[in-house]
Amino acid sequence: MDDAPAYELRRVSRTYTVGGAQVRAVREVDLVVDRGDFLAVVGPSGSGKTTLLQLLGGLDRASEGAVLFEGRDLGTMRDAELTRLRRTALGFVFQQFNLVATLTAAQNVEAALAPTHLARRHRRERVQELLERVGLDRRLHHLPSQLSGGEQQRVAIARSLANHPRVILADEPTGNLDSDTGGEIVELLRSLARDDAQTVVLITHDATVAGHAHRVVRMHDGRLEAVEPVEEPPGDAAALPNAS
Amino acid sequence: MCSCRVFYVGYMLAELRRRWARTVLTALGLAVGVGLVVVVGALSHGLGRAQDEILRPLTGLGTDLSVSRPVDVSNTSGTQLTPTEQAQLERENASTQNALKNLGKPGSHFVREVFASTSQLSFPASEVRRIRSLDGVEAAVGGLTLSLVHVEGKVPKVVPKPGQPVDPGTAAAGIRNLQISSSTVAGVDVAVKALGAISPAQLRHGRWFGGGHDAIVNTGYASAHGVKLGDTVKLNKHPFTVVGTVEPPLGSQSADIYVRLGQLQALSGRVGRVNRVYVRASSGGAVSRLAGEIPQGLPGASVTTGADLAKRVGGSLVDAKNLTDKLGTALIAVGLLAAVAIAVLLTLASVAKRVRELGTLKALGWPQRIVVRQVTGEALLQGLVGGAFGVAVGIGAAKLVDALGPTLQATVSRTADTQPTGFFSFGQGSIATGSTNVALSAPIEAKVVLLAVVLAVAAGLVAGAVGGLRAARLRPAEALRHLG
Repeated sequence: MDDAPAYELRRVSRTYTVGGAQVRAVREVDLVVDRGDFLAVVGPSGSGKTTLLQLLGGLDRASEGAVLFEGRDLGTMRDAELTRLRRTALGFVFQQFNLVATLTAAQNVEAALAPTHLARRHRRERVQELLERVGLDRRLHHLPSQLSGGEQQRVAIARSLANHPRVILADEPTGNLDSDTGGEIVELLRSLARDDAQTVVLITHDATVAGHAHRVVRMHDGRLEAVEPVEEPPGDAAALPNAS
Repeated sequence: MCSCRVFYVGYMLAELRRRWARTVLTALGLAVGVGLVVVVGALSHGLGRAQDEILRPLTGLGTDLSVSRPVDVSNTSGTQLTPTEQAQLERENASTQNALKNLGKPGSHFVREVFASTSQLSFPASEVRRIRSLDGVEAAVGGLTLSLVHVEGKVPKVVPKPGQPVDPGTAAAGIRNLQISSSTVAGVDVAVKALGAISPAQLRHGRWFGGGHDAIVNTGYASAHGVKLGDTVKLNKHPFTVVGTVEPPLGSQSADIYVRLGQLQALSGRVGRVNRVYVRASSGGAVSRLAGEIPQGLPGASVTTGADLAKRVGGSLVDAKNLTDKLGTALIAVGLLAAVAIAVLLTLASVAKRVRELGTLKALGWPQRIVVRQVTGEALLQGLVGGAFGVAVGIGAAKLVDALGPTLQATVSRTADTQPTGFFSFGQGSIATGSTNVALSAPIEAKVVLLAVVLAVAAGLVAGAVGGLRAARLRPAEALRHLG
């Protein structure tokens, strides 16, 4: 379904049972994210942003409603299919960077390529290329503990791009960085996504960061409250797509 | 090998290196268990060897069964012997009854030597052939062990009543300066060298029997009587040249002097008779059957198996062997269980600490099986490290035992068959009783090392399987929410 949007959410809810009580983290969300879109999801802590991102990434399943990725209902896919989808079509960037502490920068990026059975030489070339793109070609063999927070997040971005994903899902990628570094990271993410025509869904509670997006959606108590197009995304004058 | 496996192995090694404290702890736990297997296995092997060394004389000389016809002279009821046997016994010991007859002129010096066999009846050598023909018998040879009683003193002035013979007991009571000594003489069938009372392997000095009147003496007897190689010993006035000495090991049929069977039979007036048959079974399984079958053709026969003799071996060696067999096995089991438990717990702790990391890998699209394989592989590597360490520790401990060489004692007790029962029975064909020391060694067997490594790998696999299962159950979304 080449003409299908990247994502289409139809009255999606996610309910958890915590200590016997039902907690609805996401409530009846309708949302369309077109291909190539750069969407920022903002909202206070506990508003359901991360849960929404996990539903988009196939890391979690909706309790009600449907999450369609390029027209395919993630709810009907088996775990192994979701795993394959994450490996081939999605890239993740986390607030805590989530790098493997025992692996070097290059090995962390290679970790995303390892299950693909790509030849070792090609894996190394791809790793080299990606770390060059994020400006870390001289830090290939450094462990995460030897890198600054910004550098670690660059490694995480390089890792998320390793398999040429069609969508990048970033959960508070600047949450652990100072504002200058955070700005650099978002700009890097935006430019890389633009180069490869990738769709980006970014979660943040930082309005400045959200300002880099094409559109901003606001969440509160699990509900999508508003969709706000950004007037002039920095460095990108492309027309803003519509959201439902 | 897929090139991606290089990455996975590198990742495993990196994990083990970085979390070295956990790796060392797990490896140490496994090493304790594996080391116990190696050292207890080595000790058990060493104790088994030491026990074999002690037991070899009992069963060693190739003898699986020893057949005799014991006479319990302490049994006064007389019901044990048939009239024929009673007559046979009297015939065999007639010489002792006549030993003090016709001593010479009163006041003169006399010397008498007689062969006696009061504790074991002799039987025809045809019994040897019969036993040899039994199914399950590989070889059988006869032996004859007798007491040579030496009596000397001065002839008393006893006035017999007219028409009555001199009663030996009365005469003996009147003998002045009566000296009585005895030694045990065994006749050896040299046709089968590896079966019998002694074998060439037991020679300490000198040589085996040749064609002449050769005698081989017990080292204890030689020492007590100052007998050397080349000396002459007289048996009932017949000279024999000492050509060798033997040391009858603990538990074996012992005698003071050994001569060829035919020569002893002739000297003692027992041509064609034996009082012991040494039997070698064709298989271990045939021994118990033969033990039951042999007495059917020889009523009253006593059959002693190697196992019967082995049961009489006691002392610290046996205690240690029993301890190793029982406590050692328990130690191994407890050690291994503890090692596996440690490995499992630490692997689970490791998985718990790496929840976010494993969740991230799942988010990156790592298939479940690869995540499980990664965790299992790390545990397996730890098992190998622990196994190698444990084998080294076990070998070190075994070498230490070898270097210290602790001494263990083995004792052999008497049985009714060998119990001295009367005046003429001392030393006759008795089992060499007493104690002997044996140095303990702890030889390492390749199969024990292999077993230890297999157990370590198995422990690693168990730990990995448990940890992998835990990792497999992780839901990516929950794992990523984890704060660890």
